[in-house]
Amino acid sequence: MGIEGVMQEGFVTTSADKLINYARTGSLWPMTFGLACCAIEMMHAGMSRYDLDRFGMIFRPSPRQSDLMVIAGTLTNKMAPALRKVYDQMAEPRWVLSMGSCANGGGYYHYSYSVVRGCDRIVPVDVYVPGCPPTAEALIYGLIQLQNKIRRTSTIAR
Amino acid sequence: MSAKLDTLAHNLNECLGERIVRHSLALDELTIEVRVADYLSVMRTLRDDPSLAFGQLVDLCGIDYSAYGSDVWTDPRFAVICHLLSLDNNWRLRVRVFAEDDSFPVVPSLTSLWTCADWFEREAFDLFGIVFPGHDDLRRILTDYGFVGYPFRKDFPVSGHVEMRYDPTQQRVIYQPVSIEPREVTPRIVREETYGNPRHG
Repeated sequence: MGIEGVMQEGFVTTSADKLINYARTGSLWPMTFGLACCAIEMMHAGMSRYDLDRFGMIFRPSPRQSDLMVIAGTLTNKMAPALRKVYDQMAEPRWVLSMGSCANGGGYYHYSYSVVRGCDRIVPVDVYVPGCPPTAEALIYGLIQLQNKIRRTSTIAR
Repeated sequence: MSAKLDTLAHNLNECLGERIVRHSLALDELTIEVRVADYLSVMRTLRDDPSLAFGQLVDLCGIDYSAYGSDVWTDPRFAVICHLLSLDNNWRLRVRVFAEDDSFPVVPSLTSLWTCADWFEREAFDLFGIVFPGHDDLRRILTDYGFVGYPFRKDFPVSGHVEMRYDPTQQRVIYQPVSIEPREVTPRIVREETYGNPRHG
C-alpha cells in the first residue's frame, strides 16, 4: 500500500488487488474439521502456544463462514461424501489445505480397502503439508505458504 | 495356577460340567470352549450363578481361523470370542464358540444377556459376516453404507474391490473399481550376529 498521501491529503492509495489479498490473507478462517490425530496438531496450532489467532485465523463451526478447509487426518470412504458436501457448502473463494500423509496420498493406509488414497481425489487441494502428523509449526508454515499463494493471485485480471 | 484361578476352574466345572468342550490355561488366563447349541445357556449360567457372577461382558469379537498356524486346521473357520469380567469375584474368563457352518456362520446373540453386546456383534457381523440371530438391529457399523464383502475375512483383498473419487460430471462422490496393484510386504529381519549377546551389549 502506498502511504504517500497519508501525511498531506489524509488518504491512502493502493491497488484493489492488494487490498483484496490483504483482506483474504489476513482473515483466513478455517473450517473446524478434524478427521484423525492430525486434528490434535491442528488444535495445538490453534491454541495459545502457536496461536493461529494472530494470523487472523479463527476456526469457524460452519462451512458457510469458512474460507479454508484443513483436511486434518485420514479421509475414509465413509467420510468422503460428507467432506465433499462440506466443501461444496463453503463460499467462494475457498482453499483447501491437506494436512498429513493420510490426507496427502493415503499414507499408511494407502493400500487399505476403506481409505481414500489422497483427499485430492475428492476436493481440489492448494497446499500439501507432509508429516505424520505434521507438527503445529509445519502446519503454520503450510498456512503461510497458502497466504503467499493467495497473494500471488490477482482478482482483477489485466 | 493361582488359588483364585483354581477356584474359578473348580466353579466352572461344577456349574457347566459337560457343557465345556475344551478348556485351556495360558498366561494365567482361562479359556473355555462351548458348542453353539449350549452357548446361550452357558452364558446365562456364567452371568447368573453366584459362584461365577460374570456381570460384565468386556469384549466380543469374531475370528477367522482359515490358514491358522502351520498344521491342518480341522475346526470350523469362524469363531466368536467373549471376554467376561466378574467384578464381584475379580476374575476374568474367555469363552470361545465356533460357528458350525463355514459358508454361513451363525451364533446366537448375547444382547438379551448383556446389552453392550449390541455394537460388538454388529462389528463382528460387519467385519466377518457372522450372523447373530436374536439381535434387533444387525447392520454394518464401521464400513461404508452399501459396502460389499467382509473385510476382516482372510480371503478379502487388503485393497478391497472399489475405491472412491469425486466425479465432476455427476457432481458427487462415486465408487470405481480399484486401480492399484495389490502389494505383498515381506518382513525382513535385520539383526546383527551378536544381537542379544550380553558380551556385546
